[in-house]
Amino acid sequence: MELLRLENLTKTFGGLTAVKDVNFTVNEGSISGLIGPNGAGKTTIFNLITGIYKVTRGAIYFQNVPIHDKEPHVIAGMGITRTFQNIRLFKNLTVYQNVLTACHHNADYGIFDAALRLKKFRRQERELKEFAGRLLELMELSGWKDKVANSLPYGLQRRLEIARALALKPKLLLLDEPAAGMNPDETRQLMNLIRRIRDEFGCTILVIEHHMDLIMGICDNIIVLNFGKKLAEGPPEKIQQDPLVIEAYLGEGGMPGA
Amino acid sequence: MNWFYIEGVLILAGINIIAVLGLSLLTGFTGLFSFGHAGFMAIGAYSAVYFGERMGLPFAVSVVAGGLVAGLVSLFIGRLTLKLKGDYFCIATLGFGEAIRLVLDNVQVFGGARGWPGIPLKVDLVTVTIFNIVGILFLMFLINSRHGRSMIAVREEELAAKVIGIDTYRYKVISLFISAVYAGIAGGLLGYYLTFLQPKLFGLQKSTEYTIMVIFGGIGSISGSVLAAFILTVLPEMLRSFAVWRFVIYGAAVIFIMIARPQGLMGGKEITLKGIAGILGIPGRNRKTARSGEV
Amino acid sequence: MNQILQQLINGFSIGSVYALMAVGYSLVYSIMNFSNFAHGGVIMLGAYFGFFFITLFKMPFWVAFIGAGICSMLVAVLVERMAYKPLRARNAPFLYFMISAMGASMFIENFVIATIGPTFRTYPQIFPAEPFSLGGIYVGRLDMMMFLISAVSLIALVYFIECTKLGKAIQATAFNPRASALMGINTDSVILTVFGLGGFLAGIAGVLFGMKYTVYPQIGFITIKSFIAAVFGGLGSLPGAVIGSFILGIVETMVSGYIMSQYRDLISFSLLILILVFKPMGLMGKSVEDKA
Ligand SMILES: Nc1ncnc2c1ncn2[C@@H]1O[C@H](COP(=O)(O)OP(=O)(O)OP(=O)(O)O)[C@@H](O)[C@H]1O
Ligand SMILES: [Mg+2]
Repeated sequence: MELLRLENLTKTFGGLTAVKDVNFTVNEGSISGLIGPNGAGKTTIFNLITGIYKVTRGAIYFQNVPIHDKEPHVIAGMGITRTFQNIRLFKNLTVYQNVLTACHHNADYGIFDAALRLKKFRRQERELKEFAGRLLELMELSGWKDKVANSLPYGLQRRLEIARALALKPKLLLLDEPAAGMNPDETRQLMNLIRRIRDEFGCTILVIEHHMDLIMGICDNIIVLNFGKKLAEGPPEKIQQDPLVIEAYLGEGGMPGA
Repeated sequence: MNWFYIEGVLILAGINIIAVLGLSLLTGFTGLFSFGHAGFMAIGAYSAVYFGERMGLPFAVSVVAGGLVAGLVSLFIGRLTLKLKGDYFCIATLGFGEAIRLVLDNVQVFGGARGWPGIPLKVDLVTVTIFNIVGILFLMFLINSRHGRSMIAVREEELAAKVIGIDTYRYKVISLFISAVYAGIAGGLLGYYLTFLQPKLFGLQKSTEYTIMVIFGGIGSISGSVLAAFILTVLPEMLRSFAVWRFVIYGAAVIFIMIARPQGLMGGKEITLKGIAGILGIPGRNRKTARSGEV
Repeated sequence: MNQILQQLINGFSIGSVYALMAVGYSLVYSIMNFSNFAHGGVIMLGAYFGFFFITLFKMPFWVAFIGAGICSMLVAVLVERMAYKPLRARNAPFLYFMISAMGASMFIENFVIATIGPTFRTYPQIFPAEPFSLGGIYVGRLDMMMFLISAVSLIALVYFIECTKLGKAIQATAFNPRASALMGINTDSVILTVFGLGGFLAGIAGVLFGMKYTVYPQIGFITIKSFIAAVFGGLGSLPGAVIGSFILGIVETMVSGYIMSQYRDLISFSLLILILVFKPMGLMGKSVEDKA
């Protein structure tokens, strides 16, 4: 079952074409990888999918609904969310508040329900708080609940960002270099975590990574970008053998970790 | 010092608290900087007095209605500028605040620059206190709800707020609206307390003074805003001879706070009953003062 | 007909001084992405520097004029060092910069009130009062000088930005701060330069306004005109700021001349609203996307 489809997706910045005629689909329940050398346009594709950048040309379909002209918060409401390459937490809020803030879509009480503390508000708020607590437990962040996000070690900040994304109960989760700055041990934990997220939350995952161990280890399907264009697509075994891919990475000093 | 004088200062403090609460929501919790709050106050004041004295509405109704008029006007500005990236909102509020004053200077039905005298005194300490309590509770409940958290998210990291599904534009507009209503209500109360209105009561200085109170109290703290509004109303009254240097010190202090202690007086924390109990050594379940956004 | 031409010339003259202010403000905005509200304080100090240099120290006009520009430049740089640099070092949110700017502005204005006093002071007559005639149109000498001085300064600024290495570094930083920092451009010196330039232009604008009107502590409020002009042109765009300033200057003199001078400021604010309604990004502004 196809969940996301990119059709001839193109994005230009002034004279620079960052993404050019990219086509691929992401199947429901899969873990897909988006790889490519620095500046290949990976993050730009995430920004296009989440509506942060306006699409120059082409289309994006989510569950067969066009989303490329929608605003970021609407797209998020439809079930697509992400993490950022350069972590963007609510830095001065606690771990718990970070997650709780992201839970807001799981409630629908209005401002007056809140101002008058009506029953609807109290019930839904209790549910939100329970859910946020459970999520922290699941992500093994309970011990850090009241710590300010900024004070967390780097690896945990990345995990918190994922937890915050999961608070939306997303259908499609986009992870932008979740293993950046992690040691091999942490990377292995992260691989397990990503699998667990797919299984327990039933969400589809599209991940950008430079750690090839991680990509080759968990992805069902890999899309390779180079200079904004799709270079290759396929399962890990096929990508590892692909001469075009090897060449693109050789230009960067060999395929990292492969 | 007689009671009459003290009561007057307390009433002024209460009125300032209402305006500062509103600005605290906008600046402290949503992260938007406004120079136009004196303008919203002016609109609230003139509308309230108009409703009350020309149309004969009851006092409380006219004050609240005055606040709503200020809120409606703020929607107009918000819709124009809050979608734009950059300081457009800020500059628009600056222009707006001045424009309102100039308009009032020239509208003769409201007395023009000479002002509107002879408004009956309808505000006493009890009235102000009631407005304060309602204002504080509403804000507290709002901040500790998903709506308040969304506003804080806008302040903290707008892009992240968007990708977790927060309609940042909408929340900015709502925050501006509520904050303008507060300012408008404060204006109405001021009119009915001073018993006269004059456009020059609502100059840029007033807007910045309220912003200073929010900053002193600490970005994102309701109790800090209340405390700062109170202290900064009462203190200058006591140090009148010092008046020329007051704003010099305020200016320096604002820079210092931004550099050294942006959390201000309260450090982003709230005074809670539990917290007070903790300080007094009364045993309780939770001795910490809760951070904003959590009670 | 002649009268319209005359008003037009007056408008150009006022507009050109607005441009001096607006360009400095926009330069800083284009690099730092926040509105430097302390700009008005620097303008006011410029007016006072010039006034005291001439009346107290009996300096010749041009020495006092340049001196006021240089002193204002130092003040602007000092404000940057004291109020903004520590925030930059911490990567503080824009809100903090704006608040700090407000603090600086308040400090400067009230410091002047507390020390020099709130009185209005009048510059001595520098240029002869009687206007000279240009083919039947009478132009005030001061207005003429204001226009010439501003035009020369703006041209010098354009030369600096287009033709010097530092100027190119400013352009690059405005376009993409991160990339230009990576390319080895020293962001800190770019910022200092921008504040220095803006401060100098603000200072001489202050002297010109001081001569045209009077000097008083709140005269810095006139920068609101430069903000409006900058919005007309599109925030952060230098050509936009200049064009916006001229439009504003001309509209204002026309309104003062033909309708009522009381409505002058009101018309400027209404224009601001109109621009926001119909052309929100200004005449030369480009819409920007978030960077993620
Ligand atoms: N907002 C923007 N304005 C101008 N150019 C941009 C913008 N965003 C991205 N680019 C350019 O688009 C190209 C692709 O950038 P992108 O961030 O998508 O690369 P990436 O594949 O994520 O690289 P990395 O592995 O380094 O993260 C780069 O040349 C980048 O400079
Ligand atoms: Mg990237």
